[in-house]
Amino acid sequence: MRQLHAVNTPGRLAGLFVGQKATDAMALVPELVTAEAEPEADAQALTELADWCVRFSPAVALDPPDSLFLDVTGVAHLWGGEAALAGDLRARLGANGLPVRVAVADTPGAAWALAHQGEGCEIIVPPGEQIAWMARLRPSALRLEPQAAAQIERLGLKMLAQLFALPRAPLARRFGADALTRIDEALGRSKAALTFRRPPNPWFARLAFAEPISQLEDLQRVSHDVAARLCARLDQEGQGARRFELAFHRLDGKAHALNIGLALAARDPARIARLFAPKLETVDPGFGIEVVTLAASAVEPTAGRQIRLDSLLDAGREDALAPLIDRLANRLGEERVWKTVPVESHVPERSTAHAPPLSPPPPAARWDLGTPRPLRLFRKPEPLEGVISLIPDDPPRQFEWRRRLHRIRRAEGPERIGDEWWRIDIEDVRTDRVRDYYRVEDQDGARFWVFREGLYAPGEPARWFLHGLFG
Amino acid sequence: MSGFRARELEALKAKIAALETGGREESESMSLGDPRLDDRFLNRGLPLGHWHEFSGEGLEVETGISAAAFAACLAAPLARRGEAVWVLRRDDLFAPGLAGLGFPAERLIQVCARDEAEALAVTEDALATQGVAAVFTEVETVDLTAGRRLQLACERRGATGFVIRRRPYGGTGRKETAGSAAATRWRIAPAPSEPGPGEFGLGPPRWEVRLDRCRGGRPGAWLMEAPNAYGEAAYTYEVNDGTHPLRLVAELGDRQLASAQPLRLSA
Repeated sequence: MRQLHAVNTPGRLAGLFVGQKATDAMALVPELVTAEAEPEADAQALTELADWCVRFSPAVALDPPDSLFLDVTGVAHLWGGEAALAGDLRARLGANGLPVRVAVADTPGAAWALAHQGEGCEIIVPPGEQIAWMARLRPSALRLEPQAAAQIERLGLKMLAQLFALPRAPLARRFGADALTRIDEALGRSKAALTFRRPPNPWFARLAFAEPISQLEDLQRVSHDVAARLCARLDQEGQGARRFELAFHRLDGKAHALNIGLALAARDPARIARLFAPKLETVDPGFGIEVVTLAASAVEPTAGRQIRLDSLLDAGREDALAPLIDRLANRLGEERVWKTVPVESHVPERSTAHAPPLSPPPPAARWDLGTPRPLRLFRKPEPLEGVISLIPDDPPRQFEWRRRLHRIRRAEGPERIGDEWWRIDIEDVRTDRVRDYYRVEDQDGARFWVFREGLYAPGEPARWFLHGLFG
Repeated sequence: MSGFRARELEALKAKIAALETGGREESESMSLGDPRLDDRFLNRGLPLGHWHEFSGEGLEVETGISAAAFAACLAAPLARRGEAVWVLRRDDLFAPGLAGLGFPAERLIQVCARDEAEALAVTEDALATQGVAAVFTEVETVDLTAGRRLQLACERRGATGFVIRRRPYGGTGRKETAGSAAATRWRIAPAPSEPGPGEFGLGPPRWEVRLDRCRGGRPGAWLMEAPNAYGEAAYTYEVNDGTHPLRLVAELGDRQLASAQPLRLSA
């Protein structure tokens, strides 16, 4: 028996209703236009609408067949108020040909009731006033069981105000505990639970074992197996991941997680298992491990190139170096593998910075090759003793470093490097915080980069330091 | 008759070379900038696909500065062809200094290892990676076993290793090992520089370079300098082709060059 699934407004005005037999409807309205109802497509469309509504609130719950719950607690100020939020929602959906009715209230039950049976398309209930607003609605607005709702109607309770006025215990006895919980939820006396739709993390693989394992070879084998499983899924989607977390779940409920990071997104199970291999020794299996899980994050699309290690033509620089960088970074730590990038600064120890080895070179930075710089630069300049220099401004004639005397034959300089006054507050800038650098060569040919700290003061001896060595 | 002798000598040299390389194909070599130097080697240049050892004496044992500078100048064309990795024990390599010597420091990958064994393991790993052309290591000693492993790693992909012997944190060293698996062993010491005519201050960096041991070649001693260091020319090596970063100044015999330079200061 074919029934009407949905009727539009002119049809309702002509006397049609949902659930009417199709033949009756055709008899009533000869020029009726019908289309096949597709409930699955409707459900799918509702799911997509829920995903779209995430722009208004992260917590969206589905209420089939045709409504959604959005939890807008603490979100409304981003639109400038709940009225503006509701208006924006209605405007956007209306512009796409989807007329909606919106109700904003304290509780999901009240919002549902007012959205379905309230007057007007945008209803905003001030906090705490849902009793007054719901007073004139019919009892079916509470989403009760069909028998309870029919019985309530038969008993002459046509408005919710009458239902709210009844004492609670006889209500529960007469119409069931469910009716009482629905009333309490609608009025905010108890909390309703909604199942929100959250996008699942698809990049997750899990292996469970019939017998708990604890041997190292078994751990290696299962890490390879679970990596193969996850990488097959990544491969299907053409994606690769840069961070992997492998967790071993023990029999007593504790889980031990290991992390690795890759410089470039990859989906090669052998490489991932090899990067985990050194860390497997730190896992304490306890009584045994029964489940192993592998989760991937930082997932990016990667090109599906077959990497052939013996072909020098195809591999780009990143493909060849990335496994080496990953091995070194995961073994020694990421801060121990770097390449140097220039930083615009006069101060020598601040003129370089460490960067990840495979990062693209910064576009504008170049080495400043105006003045010679030493090949080795000490982290802390070493003080020199026994420095003899002619006049305060001249380079040293001899100095003592590490208990060796060096007599200077040639010298270049001075190069004055002072405070970078544009980096600090103007009150902290001092003009006497300077270093005069000299490039000197001793009688054997060893070349040093020494500096004198501070300006010349008549009574004080000058302080000299060694900052670097030239080749 | 001399032609006969020359031919015999060539045949013997080829036999020795075949024995040395164990039947593998002829390896590449890199010129050292001067025919008098290149003649010392079997393939008329520094053999690539092997590892070489650079060491020093005195202050050089702790700082390893001349050896590092000489190796960087020597291997700059190699580092431009492929990737370069520098394995350190002490993080004091200053990239602007490398750039001033003509080395492409912006593509250099630096790794700071925690101890000797780890540094050697990282070196082996880097040498066996495709795409890496030169690996520099700063370690204290390379014993025979580790040396053979480095050689095997070099031969896998044809990379070249440069081992700079250095004891970065001072202290007394262990006993010197008798043998070495390096293809060549060099001893580098700094030498006083000469500025050009009419110039003041320091000249281009100069080193006393001694080749102690060379497989299939003859040892020697030279005075070499890097004429293009610390100038704009150093950075544009690619443009001036034909100019090797190193220049031979003089051959050293058994006597030292007497440096009787008067005191010259410049301010």
